[in-house]
Amino acid sequence: MIKTDVIIIGGGSTGCGVARDLALRGIPHCLIEKGDFAAGATGACHGLLHSGGRYAVNDPEAAAECLSENMILRKIGTKCVEQTGGLFVRLPGDSKRFRDMFLKSCEETGISTEVLSPSRALELVPSLNSSLEEAIKVPDCSIDPFRLCMLNITSSQKRGGEILTHNKVIDIIREHGRCVGVKVQEESTSEVREIRGKIIINAAGAWGNKIASLAGSGVPMTLSKGSLIVTNHRLTNMVINRLRPSSDGDIIVPNEAVCLAGTTSITVNDPDESEVDPAEVDIIATQAQQMLPDFGTTRLIRTYAGVRPLLKADGGDDRKISRGFRIIDHKNGMLSIMGGKLTTYRLMAEKISDRVMEAFGLKTRCRTAEVPLEGQEELHGYPLSSRLKILENIVCECELVTADDVEKIAREIGTRHIGDIQHRTRLGMGPCQGGFCTYRALGIMQETGKMTPEESMQVLREFLQRRFKGIKPALWGDQLREEQLIESIYLGILGMEQVQ
Amino acid sequence: MNGTYDVVIIGGGMSGMMAAVALADMGRKVAVVSRGDPVCCLSTGCIDVLAAGNDPLEGIGSLPDNHPYRLVGEDTLKASLEMFRTVMSEERGAYVGDVHANRRILTPLGRHKITCLVPVTMEFADFHSDEYIHVISFNEMKDFYPNYITSRYKNSGCSIFDAGVSTTMSIAERFENRQFLEEFISWLKGLDIPEGRIAIPAVLGMHFAVNVYNEISAELGRKVFEIPTLPPSMPGLRLFDGLKNALLKRGVNLYWGKEIYSVEKSGSQIEAVTLAGAGRSARVQGNAFILATGSFVSGGLHASMDAATETAFDLPVYLPGKRESWFNDDFFAPGHAIEKSGICVDQSFRPVDSRIENLFVCGSILAFSEVMKYGCGHGMAIATGVAAANVCGELA
Repeated sequence: MIKTDVIIIGGGSTGCGVARDLALRGIPHCLIEKGDFAAGATGACHGLLHSGGRYAVNDPEAAAECLSENMILRKIGTKCVEQTGGLFVRLPGDSKRFRDMFLKSCEETGISTEVLSPSRALELVPSLNSSLEEAIKVPDCSIDPFRLCMLNITSSQKRGGEILTHNKVIDIIREHGRCVGVKVQEESTSEVREIRGKIIINAAGAWGNKIASLAGSGVPMTLSKGSLIVTNHRLTNMVINRLRPSSDGDIIVPNEAVCLAGTTSITVNDPDESEVDPAEVDIIATQAQQMLPDFGTTRLIRTYAGVRPLLKADGGDDRKISRGFRIIDHKNGMLSIMGGKLTTYRLMAEKISDRVMEAFGLKTRCRTAEVPLEGQEELHGYPLSSRLKILENIVCECELVTADDVEKIAREIGTRHIGDIQHRTRLGMGPCQGGFCTYRALGIMQETGKMTPEESMQVLREFLQRRFKGIKPALWGDQLREEQLIESIYLGILGMEQVQ
Repeated sequence: MNGTYDVVIIGGGMSGMMAAVALADMGRKVAVVSRGDPVCCLSTGCIDVLAAGNDPLEGIGSLPDNHPYRLVGEDTLKASLEMFRTVMSEERGAYVGDVHANRRILTPLGRHKITCLVPVTMEFADFHSDEYIHVISFNEMKDFYPNYITSRYKNSGCSIFDAGVSTTMSIAERFENRQFLEEFISWLKGLDIPEGRIAIPAVLGMHFAVNVYNEISAELGRKVFEIPTLPPSMPGLRLFDGLKNALLKRGVNLYWGKEIYSVEKSGSQIEAVTLAGAGRSARVQGNAFILATGSFVSGGLHASMDAATETAFDLPVYLPGKRESWFNDDFFAPGHAIEKSGICVDQSFRPVDSRIENLFVCGSILAFSEVMKYGCGHGMAIATGVAAANVCGELA
């Protein structure tokens, strides 16, 4: 049994942010995550660190929060935020009236804007649709959500925070009507453990209602699925937004060597619903192509979807629901935090940690806005130039990951999950999407004795199936060629279909 | 370089190259145009005829009526495979096998691949699971993990040689060095492997692989075999190299690194194609043309969001429905519908609905070939290549 003060459920950006916040205030805590970090909406968003421009017109409060958090994160997280800047692009036919409202709302919120002529915008982003009317520059950035989570966790672990990934909360222990702990089950061994704490923070995102219901409560939320597509090129060095009311496929974000475009917004009932519909892909690709014509000919290497945990609205369009957040005190020792977005994760963590301090009668104030994220210097394989120095025994040619990197992580975290290796090294994140290197990484992992050859074969089978699910909705053009090659390797050369 | 030929073959893969061999042997003046090295370089080098049952030829009778094999008679199929074997043995790349018998060769995952004709270096890759096998691996070789095999075969062992390099191609390159080969053989002898067969990933050289293989086998006095690995695969490269040499010997003109830029037609005849690519463009004239550019993976077909085109002559393409129906949900389920895509042809390999009389189509670009589903890749390519050449050679 583990005893702690605060139990945090959920290893997304909010949960990781709370762990860091509490660590900096000296509060013992234990974070529980059923998968790996950033496995839910955090890792499935487009990694846009909002300037607030997207929300300026309809949700000025959320816009203001985004702006101030943007300014904080670019300061404390230099190694996971890329200061790309962003453009809101107005194409022929887009409303001039909305443009005026946009500029006025940005001014009121304090978001700096610069109106650019088409030629000036094309100088900044030559791949833009050359028939654009104008572009408005805003301080958008690109952020790596996985690195962000890892860095927040580093602060927690340095101060003795207990972190349990691949552990699922299966029950909430209540005594005299109060939540006093949780029962967790380890994913691969199925071992059940008890963790006792004084306060439970439910930061389970889309799974928040499921957690709350274990404690006999509920949280009113709307689940909204958003799908995205990934290109094999970095088609723009700036974030590109469409200057019009929020709609499908109006954002393109550069991220390392690729671009992410999205999203859609479809109400779903199940937080595990992550199927991408080919029709969604068509919409996103078509819309993105209007802003960046190269989208029409670029290879799409992957699709994915995440489920946003939005504050409950009374019907209507999900996009009109506030992207603000709310804290719910269940009055039984559990606090739920819901809504919000990646950009405001730190603020959300601050506010809920304040409530914890209040409950404990302590006054230590939040320091997460001033202290830079720790561990950025040791960030694995960052920047790319550090990876370029070692060109021996490369197992992932797309992202330059070496056999030693894989072996080191496999030994360090004792992982049985290929996803953990991928998140920590970027293995398999490039154009071949793990088609070649996963086989190698698993070969190395079974050689370290962390799993048997048969187990690693099972993991490979599951990986290929998941990979195919993500690629299938956008499978045409050059990506189809690649896919036929991968199929011939695993089915034609290796005989993988015989692994049951 | 402009030229005039009896037959111009578009596509330098298995089907196109075998069609070229057949036509050259008929005394025709032939050119082969290829965008680059073909996907057979990425293959295991084995000739899958039909991965069903013990006798692939028997299985052909139960294929759907529209499968391209149905256009090729059994005699032509046998003759084409025999022609392939003759060509390859002339090119120091002998193949073994019986067209009436499938064999199960060992894969790097310790599973089996069903195939028919194999390079002589894989002659002993089909073995009884009771027999002892000793797997040889190379230190840090990134595409080969012997545990996958040894964990599945109780009666097995493994030894690792340090070649000083980690990629398939660089290890293969070392095997072409006399001193390295001798060191390897003496290390292998020193292992005192008590019995059984010796399995080595397919890295035993490039141009002299059969010699390297024979020497190791003779020195050890054992049955040795290669295990084909992930691309770039040495047996695939050797296969391509052998066929390319066979074409050059036969005076076939190769237009490599070129693709069709424009097509000149007159009535129902294609008269010439203009090629673009590295270097100067070329106008290539022919009495007849063969299209053997392969399926999507080779670039013969190209899919957009909701349609497919043929990339050389813009022939009508059969496509099985809308994109939602192109793929199964299960990656491992045999045969995604998209594999049915391709060019529909008549009994004489002429594309239907195109109104062109001197164009013949062969290989995996043919509609309904479904090479992954049926495990008939190179076999179907060779058979239809030679069969199309037979029809076209009579006219050209």
